[in-house]
Amino acid sequence: MLLQRRLLCTQVPKRSIHPTHHQNSNLNNKKWAIKQVTKSNFAETLEEIKTHIFNSDFIAVSLQKTGAFSSPWQKVLPFDTAEVAYLKAKYAAERFQVLQFAVCPFSVKSSKIIAHPYNFHLFPRDELKMGMPSYSFFCQSSYLTAMAQEGFDFNACIYDGISYLSRAQELAAKDRTGNPLPRSYMKPSQSPTVYSVADSMFVDRIKSRIKIWKRTCQDSEKKTEDDLISTLRKIVSGGEVFGSRPSLSIDICSERQVQLILETLQEFTDLVPLLVPAKVGGSQAIRVVLTSSKEDRNVFEKELQLMEEEHNMQVRGFREVVDLISTSQKPVVAHNAINEFAFIHSKFIAPLPSTVDEFRSSLCSVFSHIVDVNHLMREIGPLNKVNNLPAAILYLKRRFTRPLHMEIPQHIDGDEVRVHGRDVLRISELFAKLCLILRIVPESPEADYSTSSSTLECYANVFNPCFISSSDLLDDDVNISTEKTRRISVANLVFLWGFRGMMSARKLKSLLKGSHEVFSGEIDVRLADRNCAIVVFWAPGFAERFLKVMNSGGTNCEPIKDMISEGLRAACYRTYKRVCELSIWEPSLADALEKALEEASDLPEANSEEELPAICWDNDELTNLDDL
Amino acid sequence: MNGSSKFYRTKIPVVRMVVVMKNLFTIRAFHKSLISLSSSTRHFFCSSSSSASTFAIKNVTKSNFESALNDLRLYVKDADFVAVDLEMTGVTSAPWRESFELDRFDIQYLKVKDSAEKFAAVQFGVCPFRWEPHRQSFVAHPHNFYLFPRQEIKGDDTSYEFLCQTTSIDFLAKYQFDFNLCIREGVSYLSRSQEKEALGRLNARYKDRLLDSSSCWREGVDTKLVRVADILFSERLKNKIAEWHDGLLGDRNGASQTWKTSNDSKQQLKTIFFKMRPALDLTGFTSHQLRLIQLVVKNHFEDLVYACVAGESSSQQLIVYTDSASGRDLLMKELKDCLCKEAEMKIKAAIGFRHVIDLLSSEKKLIVGHNSFLDIAHIYRKFIGPLPSTAKEYVISIQKFFPYIVDTKVLLNASTVCQKISKKSSTSLSKAFALLCPQIASGVKTSGLADKRLVKVEVQVDNKRSLNWNSGAKHEAGYDAFMTGCVFAQACSHLGVDFTLNPSSVDLSHHEKLQEYINLLYLSWINGDIIDLKTGERKADSICSKGFKAHHSKILFSNTVLLWAFPAKLKASEIRECFCKVFGSSSITFIYHVDKTAVFIQFSKQELVSDFLVLKETLERSNDPISVLHPLSKVLQGGRTRAASYEVYKQICSSTISKVFFADQAEAVGIEWNAKLSKPVLEVERQVDFEASENQLYTDTRNETEIVSGIDPPLYMHSPTDELDSLCPAEAQMSK
Repeated sequence: MLLQRRLLCTQVPKRSIHPTHHQNSNLNNKKWAIKQVTKSNFAETLEEIKTHIFNSDFIAVSLQKTGAFSSPWQKVLPFDTAEVAYLKAKYAAERFQVLQFAVCPFSVKSSKIIAHPYNFHLFPRDELKMGMPSYSFFCQSSYLTAMAQEGFDFNACIYDGISYLSRAQELAAKDRTGNPLPRSYMKPSQSPTVYSVADSMFVDRIKSRIKIWKRTCQDSEKKTEDDLISTLRKIVSGGEVFGSRPSLSIDICSERQVQLILETLQEFTDLVPLLVPAKVGGSQAIRVVLTSSKEDRNVFEKELQLMEEEHNMQVRGFREVVDLISTSQKPVVAHNAINEFAFIHSKFIAPLPSTVDEFRSSLCSVFSHIVDVNHLMREIGPLNKVNNLPAAILYLKRRFTRPLHMEIPQHIDGDEVRVHGRDVLRISELFAKLCLILRIVPESPEADYSTSSSTLECYANVFNPCFISSSDLLDDDVNISTEKTRRISVANLVFLWGFRGMMSARKLKSLLKGSHEVFSGEIDVRLADRNCAIVVFWAPGFAERFLKVMNSGGTNCEPIKDMISEGLRAACYRTYKRVCELSIWEPSLADALEKALEEASDLPEANSEEELPAICWDNDELTNLDDL
Repeated sequence: MNGSSKFYRTKIPVVRMVVVMKNLFTIRAFHKSLISLSSSTRHFFCSSSSSASTFAIKNVTKSNFESALNDLRLYVKDADFVAVDLEMTGVTSAPWRESFELDRFDIQYLKVKDSAEKFAAVQFGVCPFRWEPHRQSFVAHPHNFYLFPRQEIKGDDTSYEFLCQTTSIDFLAKYQFDFNLCIREGVSYLSRSQEKEALGRLNARYKDRLLDSSSCWREGVDTKLVRVADILFSERLKNKIAEWHDGLLGDRNGASQTWKTSNDSKQQLKTIFFKMRPALDLTGFTSHQLRLIQLVVKNHFEDLVYACVAGESSSQQLIVYTDSASGRDLLMKELKDCLCKEAEMKIKAAIGFRHVIDLLSSEKKLIVGHNSFLDIAHIYRKFIGPLPSTAKEYVISIQKFFPYIVDTKVLLNASTVCQKISKKSSTSLSKAFALLCPQIASGVKTSGLADKRLVKVEVQVDNKRSLNWNSGAKHEAGYDAFMTGCVFAQACSHLGVDFTLNPSSVDLSHHEKLQEYINLLYLSWINGDIIDLKTGERKADSICSKGFKAHHSKILFSNTVLLWAFPAKLKASEIRECFCKVFGSSSITFIYHVDKTAVFIQFSKQELVSDFLVLKETLERSNDPISVLHPLSKVLQGGRTRAASYEVYKQICSSTISKVFFADQAEAVGIEWNAKLSKPVLEVERQVDFEASENQLYTDTRNETEIVSGIDPPLYMHSPTDELDSLCPAEAQMSK
């Protein structure tokens, strides 16, 4: 009598959306043919997407999460160094959950994009009852509301979403399940080992045991026996049945014994050894399965493989797709790569390492090329302010009129508007356009990807928020000026808070200008959030001087003294970095900095001589902060 | 008929039940069910009271909230008591935050506090019960509110976030919870403190603007005219406005020259009157253009004011003419007041579901819950304000809002009468409901004698009524609240509260038979600890011995150390062995796993705690062969092992951080524990009941809970709660 009433669950209105974006991007409904994948059609889709992944040149990915950042300053900001940006992305990736993962293998051939978009619905269901993949996760109501407005079906996602385990979790699971299902059958090493006396005794014993067991099995096959007798015989010989084939379990107590048994078994062509993993890791027994002939052995080995694949599929779930992308070695295209890949790393590979360098190298071992369309857009100067996909596409359409057609060969039944995951198509389109403009991809269809890869190489794996590749970062303190963007060492940045009430950056700047001579030089003031400003001293050394004045309590400078008494505080960039390192994620940056200063006072002043990186300062980039 | 197939399905359990009872009666039972089927079908159409009927519970979402609230006001006003129940997105934010027997009273509160702070309430069941003397039955009005913490007003910059426990979400899904309805249509809310804050911010903003009138209304007007198009546009608009302006002045001077709108700007500029002043209504401009117009007005017209007022559907952009400086100030003030009022309205509108809580609070009705300490904590956190840091402050505060709370779980376990009836079986809500109210739970008519003692409950949803309504939707807040209320009414009757005697309703809040149970809640069911809401103290002599045949062992918190981040895979038995080698074989009373990364070790003597902590430190400092060979080195191997007194456990629990593993949590809370030899604070000793049975429930493979006890109590383990509760920690709370 279960709940008919609840069967009246809200149905997602099939045509709840009339995407207004269509006018913008000239894509008609048919073009949003994005295949939506849940648990029920995952297996069939996996085969399908496998072919597409291996036959396409690029793979675009885009994630829909349950949240991004909890307060304005916790988002990756233009004045963040790579390290800080990574720590922010890490924090978000560890808290929030991915509910949709869109994957689009695509190729670009003579002004045509051939795309195969898929959108996978994920839910971290604890399929193995081990508290994995995720004990809990945060949701931001605004994100859920926005998804609901797009017509996202949460019921379908939660009831029927695909689960997954990360690589690290799968290892842990293998360790812990002690599942008697033989997962890996293995081949012994080729080099013959040297036997000790004990070893050869062990081997002889095993050998005779196997021989007796084999004989019993074969005997019983010949004559038809009474059920009782055959059962008794089985008990005596210690035999069991594995599927339809007889098997024998040999308990083992060391890895050495495993080695020896496997070597012994090589003599018997009709025996297949299986390892039974122990609860605490390692193996506790070897199961020997008797096959009737060489053909049967092949059949059995195939069966095993299938079984293993099936099991793996259940355990890995959606991660199979990530693994496919990884093994394909195809360049992966994303938008805001650092955020996306922090999620991908933490959910599907392993917990996030503590530094950006470890992250980068760990990620590179999985995906060889990661391209951020954001980064490519920056190559085309004026675009660097457009951080929104439809706007960027529109811009490129106007400026570069070369036509580029999107073609989606896959056919999808039904007339539902499949809008979920459409960002992945936008990313593909944008990437293709940018490649044409930047001449990364060969324009003739006959040239293949390998020739272009070197060009792409220099755009790959860049995770800096401040729009320059990491190699540039090393030459410190050089002002590269491209239009309005200037390089500046973070040593010249000072965070300022505790000024009275809400204040605009402009007002604060004029206030500072009149207060002390350090402000007489060229400075810029921006708000980082409601209560905290960041001040740029373009003249070197002035930031330090200002901090000294602040530390002295504003001696010899009445205006500053007054402001300090009203609560003005200042901190250098290192404090800001420490805030992120120590995970002091207070809602207000001012509070966080305050806390970091307190913590710092407990510790001896260490590594103050560390080399400080530079960031790019772009006035226009930051103007939006004033609107806060 | 759609309806008839529905009824048929709901009847099946009845049939099955009878089959179990006696096979012979199957046919008759079937016959009976067919009769009731036809009758209920009939009732479906005439919607009158019937003996067995199903209709949907009252589900309340955004769209019908206002009307439901108005109805509810009347029901609550007349009610004798109101049953409540909540469904949450989770219960514990980390495995080690589950309730342990080793949790002291103050820590139990911290764990509940953490849960109420992090998780969201997604469903709220409210069910007012009223005794109707002329019908000799209760009338219940079950309501099932869908809640969603949508951010309706702009607050400070922090976003609305809540935690979801994967198993809990899965659990809700198992019971067909409608997440779409919840997220799209759920009623939002604002707590009292949020409302106060929002109003405070509002005031501050408008006060600021008064002080600083030059910048008011003109913020963001620093757009520079760069583009030619902008300059041309501004110039044209300047001329237009000047024309209109001059026209107005001309009017006044008696010249009948009125401003003529040219064709192209007819739609965009329209003369209207705004608060008795002539004004230009600007429509059809882009926001950029509006900014330019604002700039023009500011720079070229002294007596014109650019204003943005909220219209019925969208905001209206106006240029208003003022004849003098004072008139101008007056207008500004009026505009400001208008805006302020409007913002206030928005805040009022955002209160949403809290109106229901305010209603329950202002009516001072008896609130009935089932194992409701966590529910009440959620109510406080979501609708009143941040939870105080101690249980005592909390209960004092909660009593101000809800002076009478009664818990059916306490009632069932505490009263001997009820215990006799429940035959010491499970007191989970659905079990208790089936046992105490069989006529409602399964629709079975019992024989006349037993029937007499059963309290009748008639359910009313909108204008449909039924005497044995049963939606069957367990773990739906509205239905759970209904079950709770039924159980309470029945328990009252067993305790000797006679509803039938009274001509009108009974004052249950002050009924002598109930006095000893009112305002008592289980702080932690695992420990059987009951908190008295009047005092905030633990109910000293547990009025509810759970009736376990139990071993008694004292938990001495001052004898306990917390050990974590020891080498992985080290078992409790091995740890015990190491300790016994050093401190003697009887030095350890028990070892208790918090999770796989941490254990509690209770020593037999208090001084052993500091002995151990000192020894640990010495061993870690020296690196000589003796310390390497020391028995404890097995535990200290790897150099990450930390130990601290019980007080540190409290500190770790009170942190807002929640890492999955205890060792990670301790590190994140980040105090250098090693040096901390905190002195034993107030010694709280506790008598705890131990269940000696072997059915260890804590079969959670994640934690490999392993408990090694001292010599006397043979085994120390989590005592069993309800069968249902044991399935999984997340379900436990929800099923209660």
